[in-house]
Amino acid sequence: MIDRRLFTHFDWLTLSVIASLTLIGFASVFSATHLHQASIYQKDVWWVAIGTAMMILAIVVNYSFIERLAYFIYGATILLLISVYFIGSSFSGAQRWISFGFFTLQPSEPAKLGLIIILAKFFSEKNVPAHGLGLKDLILPGILMIVPFLLIAKQPDLGTGIIIWMIFWSVVLIVKIRTKVLLGIFASFMAIMPFGWMLLKGYQKARLTSFLNPDADPLGSGYHVMQSKIAIGSGGIFGKGFTEGTQGKLMFLPEHHTDFIFSVLSEEWGLLGSLVVIALFLTLVICGLNTASGSKDRFGFLIAFGITSMFFWQIIINLGMVSGILPVVGVPLPFISYGGSFLITSMIAAGLLLNIKMRKFIF
Amino acid sequence: MRKRPADTGRYFRLRIYVVLGFFVIFFAAIFGRAFQLQVLDSGRLKHLAQKQHRKTINIQSKRGDIYDRNLKELAVSIEVDSVFAQPGKIVSPRAAARALSPIIAVSASEIERKIKSQPNFVWLKRQVDLKEDDRKLLSKIEGVGVVKEARRFYPNRQLASNIIGFTGLDSNGLEGVERYYDATLKGASRKFVGDKDAMGRLLLFEDLDKTLPVQGMEVELTIDKTIQYIAEKALKKAVEEAGAKGGTALVMDPMTGEMLAMASLPTFDPNDIKRFEPKHWRNRNITDAFEPGSTFKLFLISAALEENAVKPKESIYCENGSYRVADRVFHDHEKHGWLTVPQIIKVSSNIGSAKIGERLGKVQLYRYLKAFGFGGKTGIDLPGEAVGALRHHSTWSGVTIDTVSFGQGVSVTGIQLISALSTIANGGFLMKPYVVRSVKDSNGAIVSETNPVIMRKVISEDTAKRITDMLVGVTEEGGTGTNAAIDDFEAAGKTGTAQKPDLKNGGYMKGAYLASFIGFAPARAPRLSILVTIDEPRGEIYYGGQVAAPVFKEIAEQSLSYMGVFPENRKGPAVQSVKAEKEAFAHAVALDIADETNAVETAGGMTERPMSVPDFNGRTVRAVLKMARDKAFDVEINGSGRAYAQRPAPGQSIPAKGAVAVSFQ
Repeated sequence: MIDRRLFTHFDWLTLSVIASLTLIGFASVFSATHLHQASIYQKDVWWVAIGTAMMILAIVVNYSFIERLAYFIYGATILLLISVYFIGSSFSGAQRWISFGFFTLQPSEPAKLGLIIILAKFFSEKNVPAHGLGLKDLILPGILMIVPFLLIAKQPDLGTGIIIWMIFWSVVLIVKIRTKVLLGIFASFMAIMPFGWMLLKGYQKARLTSFLNPDADPLGSGYHVMQSKIAIGSGGIFGKGFTEGTQGKLMFLPEHHTDFIFSVLSEEWGLLGSLVVIALFLTLVICGLNTASGSKDRFGFLIAFGITSMFFWQIIINLGMVSGILPVVGVPLPFISYGGSFLITSMIAAGLLLNIKMRKFIF
Repeated sequence: MRKRPADTGRYFRLRIYVVLGFFVIFFAAIFGRAFQLQVLDSGRLKHLAQKQHRKTINIQSKRGDIYDRNLKELAVSIEVDSVFAQPGKIVSPRAAARALSPIIAVSASEIERKIKSQPNFVWLKRQVDLKEDDRKLLSKIEGVGVVKEARRFYPNRQLASNIIGFTGLDSNGLEGVERYYDATLKGASRKFVGDKDAMGRLLLFEDLDKTLPVQGMEVELTIDKTIQYIAEKALKKAVEEAGAKGGTALVMDPMTGEMLAMASLPTFDPNDIKRFEPKHWRNRNITDAFEPGSTFKLFLISAALEENAVKPKESIYCENGSYRVADRVFHDHEKHGWLTVPQIIKVSSNIGSAKIGERLGKVQLYRYLKAFGFGGKTGIDLPGEAVGALRHHSTWSGVTIDTVSFGQGVSVTGIQLISALSTIANGGFLMKPYVVRSVKDSNGAIVSETNPVIMRKVISEDTAKRITDMLVGVTEEGGTGTNAAIDDFEAAGKTGTAQKPDLKNGGYMKGAYLASFIGFAPARAPRLSILVTIDEPRGEIYYGGQVAAPVFKEIAEQSLSYMGVFPENRKGPAVQSVKAEKEAFAHAVALDIADETNAVETAGGMTERPMSVPDFNGRTVRAVLKMARDKAFDVEINGSGRAYAQRPAPGQSIPAKGAVAVSFQ
């Protein structure tokens, strides 16, 4: 049953990139939390273990099987998202988690994979007109996207909502969309923006405004960004050394082990560390694109591309926000940021990439 | 299965390349940003980071204790609590203030005002004694904390407070020994650099216990607590009985210059300085100058004998109590005809003194007074020493020589007076007075010891002995100081009753006197020099011999008895006093010599007249000028190079007019 070619075509490069990032992530979480919140890095060991197991599962299962289960998987993630409103636990004003005792699941994470799979399924079966998708062609996939988007945005989880949004448009763009439709949507989006602004919560608005001028209120809404910039910048070229960072460890930097882990990392490892991590991420997304373009079928292509775009947007938005060039919207950094659901989802996604790559010649 | 080929041709490959380019651009932007923050802005951001988490705390080491010469505690540091608030963490300042008020005994409104005045940190009450229960109650109030601070405690309260002084809240010495030796007592303070986290919790890099800064040094005074007590008690009694404004008493070891007691009234309790007016804080013995009056006569006579201006047995006509000089008429207390020099001292004749002064001349009188230490700081190791006023002889008017001779028109400090007196007691050496004997580190190892310092030799031993004889006469039958006579010992002394100058209107105040007595005992082997002044005794009894002499007697008697000095002239072996004298002399010879020129003379076996013209032969102009300044005479420099001739010759008196001429080649 097991084909020898599965091994010959295994993408060791991607695997080593993911392993490196995961290790770097664990080290950074350790450094950020060992002083005051030791339980966090201890739990992270479990997440890495579970994530690895799930990744192996995602590699082993032929992705055609996933294609067949696409609607089921999507439906399941939607159900989980809905259930958050009934049995979810809330933390600091957001209801995002379902508690299973030891493990608290954040359904918005698997929902991203659910969306990628269903979009891949949908567009792989659809005949795309030569001049691209029209407005009508977007209605159904739009609904598939908007349902989880609204459920997630309502929690509220602006960051994951944005990622859902970005995945959808990335996939639609690669599939090809009519230029007129694209321009039209863009125009109407701009027109709706002011109304969308009114729907945002106060803290969300504050993040967006403070992004424009973080120094205006360094102790208030600009605090995150200011602290993050201080942490990154004080690392200099060579960094302060592992666990020698002060800003993260001493809790000046909020969310130091989750969204702002990169600040901790670059404080301790300096520009060299930042460069290594950025290079690893770039390698990851290039491998992802390579997997996509080399995939044997359209479903595999769209899955690989969807996952790659998911990684890409998470990386860019996260790094952009921690370095102060994008507003703070709460997107974690794949493989590095702490978070059980997030790490496991990322590893499953990476597993799918490896899965598609190694099966490119197997029909 | 419906399978679509993945490769739909060039379209997808093109798109992927576009996406790839897109990715690279974004990553490049992120990297550019990282470069900007970590290289270009790094310096500024590093500084910001350090400002946030770096915390330096200044740990002041325990202030050293102060002991008397027998290692009895005079000032100690004890640990007490100080209560602070971090207003940012206090939800309701009013509630917190109400809860705190009874514990720290500060009104609730005051606490509330303090909490609201500062955002991060404010002291609520420093240096309180908290009970264990109070501490527990405090720990329950959010945003309020307690730290240990060292507080200075003076176990003897008023005793010696004018010498010891006191410290402020931050352990800075503000008066007395505490101030003069502040750097020594304070010890090292150390800056501990630590990190603090975002909640302000401190994480130190170093172990605080192991790296405590060097503790303050301990200071051992020359003061003897018991003698101090005797002096204060005797002075207080006299001041109260006389209804005086204040008073001082000084006890010095004449052989060494060590201060054994310095009493100053009014005084204060250094544990509670706020209760006393600042004028109570000072040590009047060194900060206040006064006109000495008759006590000054003995320095005049010393100079006159030394310079052979009068013969010891010579009689001087005292004008029957009324002596006119220019437009002034001087009077004596009682009318006298012919008096010998000792009698002039004994009855304290102003006219006799004035006449001797005239014979001596202003140049010599000025020189000797300078040599005795008047008109200059003694250099005692206490803050705030006054200089007094001794004008240069060139500015003296026609009668100044007369008034200065009996102690008017000059002002002196107590410490100057007792140092000069000790010169007569110890055979002619002016000793530098001091109050700190030794400094020890916190382990008890001696860091520095103060040795007695001879400032200069002023008069010959012979003259000192003659003066001593005269001063003994003062306390004997018919003298002005009979009240100072001690039962078992001979005492030497001199009374003084000076009218106080009217600083507002000029002239002298009516009925305002400074009664004084200076003396030493035992007269032939002095162990104690004592000065007593009583400031403005009220009523009919105001003479130094009446109000100050008994204080001398009490201090001398009780101190000698406490010191175990064996009565010399009654019963018991004389060996004791001879031995003491020998020891004292051996001590004096072994002393540090203040300057080279004196060393030559003292080592040269007691030159007969220390204030006479020195031998300049072979000395440089610079050295000659220094020696002249030291003995307060003028020189006329002829030529340059090294001295080869001088007039007058070495050992002769300084001329009354004109300068000492020295030729150089």
